[in-house]
Amino acid sequence: MTPLLQITNLHASIEDREILKGIDLTVNAGEVHAIMGPNGSGKSTLASVLAGREDYSVTEGSVLFNGKELMELSPEERSREGLFLAFQYPVEIPGVSTANFVKTAVNESRKHRGQEPLEPAAFLALMRERMALVEMDPSFLQRSLNEGFSGGEKKRNEIFQMAMLDPVLAVLDETDSGLDIDALRIVASGVNALRRADNATIVITHYQRLLDHIVPDYVHVLWNGRIVKSGDKSLALELEQRGYDWLKQEAAVEA
Amino acid sequence: MSTHPLVELAQRLVPAHVVSGDVESSDGRLDALRREGLREFVRMGIPTTRHEEWKYTNLFPFIGLDYSYVPVRWSARAASTDARTSMTEVASALGQHISIRIVDGVVEANLTNVPDGVDILELTSDIVENDKDVARTLGSGAPIGSHPFVALNTALLESGIVIRLRKGVQCELPIHLSVETTANASTLIAPRLLIIAEEGAEADIIHSSHTSGGATVLDVTVVEASIAATAHIRFYKIADDSDASRSISSVTADVHRDATFTSHALSIGGRFVRNDLAIRLCEPSSQGFLYGVSLLAQSEYTDNHTVVDHMVPHCHSEELYKGIYDGSSTGVFNGKIYVRPQAQKTTAYQSNHTLLLSSKAQVQAKPQLEIWADDVKCSHGATMGQVDDEAIFYFRSRGIDEATAKALLTYAFVSEVAEKISLEGLRELVMRRIARRLSAESILA
Repeated sequence: MTPLLQITNLHASIEDREILKGIDLTVNAGEVHAIMGPNGSGKSTLASVLAGREDYSVTEGSVLFNGKELMELSPEERSREGLFLAFQYPVEIPGVSTANFVKTAVNESRKHRGQEPLEPAAFLALMRERMALVEMDPSFLQRSLNEGFSGGEKKRNEIFQMAMLDPVLAVLDETDSGLDIDALRIVASGVNALRRADNATIVITHYQRLLDHIVPDYVHVLWNGRIVKSGDKSLALELEQRGYDWLKQEAAVEA
Repeated sequence: MSTHPLVELAQRLVPAHVVSGDVESSDGRLDALRREGLREFVRMGIPTTRHEEWKYTNLFPFIGLDYSYVPVRWSARAASTDARTSMTEVASALGQHISIRIVDGVVEANLTNVPDGVDILELTSDIVENDKDVARTLGSGAPIGSHPFVALNTALLESGIVIRLRKGVQCELPIHLSVETTANASTLIAPRLLIIAEEGAEADIIHSSHTSGGATVLDVTVVEASIAATAHIRFYKIADDSDASRSISSVTADVHRDATFTSHALSIGGRFVRNDLAIRLCEPSSQGFLYGVSLLAQSEYTDNHTVVDHMVPHCHSEELYKGIYDGSSTGVFNGKIYVRPQAQKTTAYQSNHTLLLSSKAQVQAKPQLEIWADDVKCSHGATMGQVDDEAIFYFRSRGIDEATAKALLTYAFVSEVAEKISLEGLRELVMRRIARRLSAESILA
């Protein structure tokens, strides 16, 4: 079976400073991977590089997504191919309603797959159903995208968009940051509801607590631009108890 | 110093008996006004960029051309069928409307669908002599002594158009004045429009200019409006013209008790546009609304100079101008608000926002508030910026390409002011132009 995502020796820099120094990661359909690590280890850079943020230049390595070289695709093509990034800081867009934004996005993906745009009534029904997954009030549809939303509302809106776009691979970048415990539970249950045998999720987080709700199959620790340790969900618990310092020392010894 | 060719042209065009005015018995109001116009134009001459009010308005590239003057005259001939493409687009955006066309100087008013109580008249020396409303309005608002091109228009004033809305008349059909000029040589035109809205009258009046033929057309239009108590006039100045047009216009409105004057300056095409708009709130509870959209590309230039004069207490004004500048275009906004010492309880809000789509585009914004009363609420704000890269990336990460993202963001930017256009077809025309300019017509589907 071809892996959904195969990252091989990925190096990436920003303004000539190397942030990712050789990442190797394989994600298969049906799996949930957690990527943890201290601040500045390169977690969000990895998410940005996967989504195609142009501030970063990939200097070495390859990323195969469903067998296609991801780095040759524009950000919009990656999305249409089924990659989704839930932003750590969702952008406020005054004047563009959530409904209009989501409708445009979904129809772009449908066009890419050779499907007709959805009828307005069917579309509205679908939006309402998917909003319910994250307990979002339908009144948000007519509001400007993320404008004046609380931190929790913004993150729920990210998961709502994910539910609408139905990605093959979702990358959740620090989705737990700024969430209280109730919002965390709602967001996590939304993500869990979307888990299937034919899709996969990468959860990027600093803390273990999100992983109580979205239980990972694999946990990887990123430090200094490399994955220094991989394990199952018990690794996350170990990190919670011991912190990251022991790993840094281990990694330093190995290097 | 030699006389400027345009001043020379004006001197040649104004007949000797008007200039001398020595035959007192035959010297009517119109002639006296023309004499004043010529005198002021000769005195002021052509403004240079050293003049504060014309600091960014570089007239030099076209003002010295050898212009032929095409006067406005009324004719009995039937409306011609051929029309400039941009004129057709504006006309069809308006749907059913009352059409007044000035085609190469000849007024072709199709007045068959004009309802009772709406008069569309030729401005003649007779009417200026005999109609007290016309006499009172003509020359009352237009800044003949301070705006050289208003002075020029006045010097050349032989004929023009009067739109009078009788007491209580609600004119359902929009009234469209289109000035269409074919020029094979540099041409000067100077239309004059008077709007007289009697008590409680209401109408939408649209003014647009359209040029073809390739040679430069200098259009110096002057509009004077008198808005009586409880009347509501919405006025649209549309610049949707070819590269050959140079438009310098002045619109003034005197607004009386409980009346409103709403202006939309829609610049969606045309090489050079200078709009002066002055609203005087003359009686309590009068209101002025000033809106503008400037969508510029290439080396286009649009310059909006506005004045709101709060002369009495309890008046309200609201001003919102938005510019989207691409290519090496330049947009200018100069907004003056005067609040006179007696104009207590004034509310006056002004804002001007600009989106720069290119690194070569320029904006000059100058809010100017002069407030002599102390119990007022006034504010102004100006911003300028580019489409946010982070926002574009957010769209792209959701599968929306860059051009569509930019178009949606630009739409969002302009929609706040476009929503104020109550004529739906016209609002859609503006939005269509934005989509076309951004090569993203798909977003309208």
